[in-house]
Amino acid sequence: MKQKDVKVAILRIEGTNCEQESYDAFKRLGASPEFVHLKQLLHIDCNIDEKRDVFDFHCLMIPGGFSAGDYIRGGAIFAARMKSKLGKDLEKYVRQEYPILGVCNGFQVLTELGLLPGIDRIMTKVPDAVLNINDSDRFECRPTILKHENNGKCVFTNKIPKNDIRLIPSAHAEGKLLFPLDKQKEYLEKLENNDQVVFRYVDTDGNYAGYPWNPNGSFSNIAGICNYIGNVFGMMPHPERTFYHFQHPDWTQTKLSDVGNGRAIFESVLDYICKRF
Amino acid sequence: MNLERLFKKKNDEFLLYEIDLFSATDEELIAISDRMGIALDLSEMKKIKDYFKKKKRNPNDIELEALGQAWSEHCCYKSSKVPLKKYVFGIEEKKIITREDAGVIEFDKDHYYCAALESHNHPSAVEPYGGAATGVGGIVRDIVCMGAQPIAYIDPLFFGPLDLPYKDVPKGTKHPRFLFKGVVDGIRDYGNRIGIPTLSGQVYFHEGYTGNCLVNVGCIGIMKKKELIHSRAKAPGNIYVYVGGKTGRDGIHGVTFASAELTDDSEESSRSAVQVGDPITKEPLIHVTLECNRKGLLEGLKDFGGGGLSCVCGELAYDAGFGAEIYLDNIPLKEEGLAPWEIWVSESQERMMFLVSEENLDTVLHICKQWDVTAVVVGKVICEKITRVFYKDRKILEMDMDFFTGGPEYDTYKRPFTIQKNRKSKEKDFKIPDLNQVLKDLLKNINIAYKEWVIRHYDHEVRGNTFIKPLQGKLNFESHGDATVIKPLEKSFRGLAVTANINPRFMERDPYWGACSAIDETCRNLVSVGASPDSLLDCLNFGNPEKPDKMGEFYEACRGLGDAARDLGLPFMSGNVSFYNESVKTAVPPTPEIMGIGIVPDIRKCVTSDIKNQGNSIYLVGKATEKEMGGSEYYSLIGIEGDIVPRFDAEVLKNCLRGILSAIEKELIASCHDVSEGGIAVCISEMTIGGNIGTEIDLLKVGANLRYDFKLFSESNTRWIIEIKKGKDKEFEKLLSKNKTPFEKIGKTINKNIIIKDNNKTIINLKVTKIRDIWKNTIWNIMG
Repeated sequence: MKQKDVKVAILRIEGTNCEQESYDAFKRLGASPEFVHLKQLLHIDCNIDEKRDVFDFHCLMIPGGFSAGDYIRGGAIFAARMKSKLGKDLEKYVRQEYPILGVCNGFQVLTELGLLPGIDRIMTKVPDAVLNINDSDRFECRPTILKHENNGKCVFTNKIPKNDIRLIPSAHAEGKLLFPLDKQKEYLEKLENNDQVVFRYVDTDGNYAGYPWNPNGSFSNIAGICNYIGNVFGMMPHPERTFYHFQHPDWTQTKLSDVGNGRAIFESVLDYICKRF
Repeated sequence: MNLERLFKKKNDEFLLYEIDLFSATDEELIAISDRMGIALDLSEMKKIKDYFKKKKRNPNDIELEALGQAWSEHCCYKSSKVPLKKYVFGIEEKKIITREDAGVIEFDKDHYYCAALESHNHPSAVEPYGGAATGVGGIVRDIVCMGAQPIAYIDPLFFGPLDLPYKDVPKGTKHPRFLFKGVVDGIRDYGNRIGIPTLSGQVYFHEGYTGNCLVNVGCIGIMKKKELIHSRAKAPGNIYVYVGGKTGRDGIHGVTFASAELTDDSEESSRSAVQVGDPITKEPLIHVTLECNRKGLLEGLKDFGGGGLSCVCGELAYDAGFGAEIYLDNIPLKEEGLAPWEIWVSESQERMMFLVSEENLDTVLHICKQWDVTAVVVGKVICEKITRVFYKDRKILEMDMDFFTGGPEYDTYKRPFTIQKNRKSKEKDFKIPDLNQVLKDLLKNINIAYKEWVIRHYDHEVRGNTFIKPLQGKLNFESHGDATVIKPLEKSFRGLAVTANINPRFMERDPYWGACSAIDETCRNLVSVGASPDSLLDCLNFGNPEKPDKMGEFYEACRGLGDAARDLGLPFMSGNVSFYNESVKTAVPPTPEIMGIGIVPDIRKCVTSDIKNQGNSIYLVGKATEKEMGGSEYYSLIGIEGDIVPRFDAEVLKNCLRGILSAIEKELIASCHDVSEGGIAVCISEMTIGGNIGTEIDLLKVGANLRYDFKLFSESNTRWIIEIKKGKDKEFEKLLSKNKTPFEKIGKTINKNIIIKDNNKTIINLKVTKIRDIWKNTIWNIMG
């Protein structure tokens, strides 16, 4: 299909707040994004013309923010509202290999939904991982550098060469990826064997370097993972914030081109959709 | 005195008292005002008595409460109107499209930007987390109610010294460290949750703020021209729709609380004046308001600010020459048992008032419902210029608009004031200390040290429009920038730059020149990134205006702001006055916080403060460096008192603005940083820290005949340090000469050290990595 026919739902509830720039990222590449309130998918308080179905869209994106205030674990409320009525649809959606992207709070939502890490099944009943409070115990907004470590499974990074270093900034209080403590190693091995690790935090030279380069103390420096199929992808840093080179925090030192480091994520998934559907 | 006899309960169904003003003596009138906490003075109480005499009835409590709100210092600016009119109003007014809750100015041919700046001082001193959070909430409503999308926050903060010994904390006051943390947490949790980036601000520590910290909040918005909406009704029959959070007892008498000094029992007595914030009601409230407005469904729009329903209902109708009928029964409440007057004046957060025509009502209610935002019809606009309020089928308030909302005219009300003669003490002579040590101590100084601890708490990138960040330089080696730049429109490279400044040390020594300096610094900061100054906002934080010397400071500051802004042709688009910033022990230094907004023609040409490359020339551009050491960080560090604070020359500034902006336009400048606290030495240090590249300069040509420590640490206005791209020196010099911009080449960028010489004699030589370590850790070490 053609890029302009690709429909992307930018999902939101109260407290979602990175929707505009996420929308813009898809729009700039010629796709057809639409803001969709969760209630439109649940068919609550909607006029007929406002009702939507996940299968109306070729891609779902859950943007960053503080959905429902995140007064309990990040993303938990958004996920609970979604799962109770849409769980089956989502499972079918993923099985049909439609892509789902979660950035920051969206990554938290996908984890709470049980769609990530998605090691051997599409959706687990209870969350299999958590994005825990940062080691620094505070919200931090800072530039982070990611190394692309995926071998080709993830449909959101197929245009990024392996081992490429990318500046994609972070801003969160709960971004430390953890698995059940007694199974950390086992999970990591499975993720690596399945090619599910997508991004790791590194320093400017590409080395794993601890805080502040790893802003949250994430296990094995992991910044983003995909499910075993490669079509559900979550990452803490914000690719929509470095769509243009001029959004990079150090662009006045490194003027090169107009293309920012985050753009390829959106290009990759659109490319995938156009080829696959 | 038996006050009880004057309060007569009117019925058993709900709490309503009639207040017998007719039989009250003058003394009792004051006592009534005190007891009700409405802060009206005798002349005002008498005016009210006369009014009701004509009406042949005594007022109800709700009527007196309403007048207390409408007439309070906060609402009517009764102390400040005369000096503001004399000095500050009327500059470049033609640029201002409108001035309601926020000022509105043209951004480009299809868009306006709007901005507002307010104080939230007393609530933050009593309850720092809630006070600061609701300050943020309040200012964003001011922007939204003009029909604009909020795109940036600005948060200037002032506290006592963080290392203040506990025994020196005045009774009833909280420790500055506690306040600082609470305020930053409050701004973070509210600002980040509603998804508006915090872009700029100021953090300043000074003994004068120990008893009364200052929390100012600013916000900028952007809108299409046709989306501008006014805070007034269009026609009788417009329906009042109450939208947003519930009404509770929080924030009662917030306005009157702001109009009195803090006392040592403010904690106990005024807690209820601080509102409780709920960003997750606010965030969808912004959505529904902007969506309804974009779809053209609203006739008028106003946010609930000081004075609650009382002010909102009145002003929406009054400003259009109409009246209002309001039914309190429908107002959603947080708890049962509120007296009608409490509902009427509560300042609970997250509420907006829409005025909607009959035909659009259903659509508006539907949009609110979709976002789960409460929306109820509470009244309508009427022809008669009267406000009437009903509760449980009884009329409980009826007052003429001109009397109630129009309020008393204070145009000629002049508080007595005295202007302090400049202190003339002879500066004592002293030997030049070891300047390596002085520079290290200055960089460690909390007012100069790295503010990362604060800045990284705030999301400054949400919305993806922040193109020049508040921290600038190599990744994880960043330093302070002068201004932040956003690109508010998807399809244009035009940018808005923002900065906020005041130097309290200058202000306490000389409010006139201090105020001029604030405007100079604001312009310097904007120009540093490549922005042309476009408008100013002022938040005037002062002491008790009933004290003539405090009022005198206010006059002098206004005179300074007015003189400087008029000479530069910069309008004050919006502002706020906050008096009574005093506690038992201390009054704040006069603090007219200035926020400046600049226009960047093309954000791709912006410049940052970090040194870019080795081997580039370094220039000092601007006014001559003079011995103006009063209020300098250097004198403060070594404990010397100086008389002369930096002065200001608008002509030189204007030339410099032109010169530097044209050099940025021609892309000759690699980095640029203004010279402020700590003088040339600190300026160069910050630039080298951000670039992780050294610099070598010689002071020979700086400020002829000055001692080299004065050359290095003088904080004279209108100066920048500029790094020029390789091979562009000649072109740069020619361009500046053409624009009558003074400059001196003073050195070049080098490998790893910062070396400062005076006529070839080395006076400072330090490693960049070393000064970075000293500078970056001060606040981290205290706050953890």
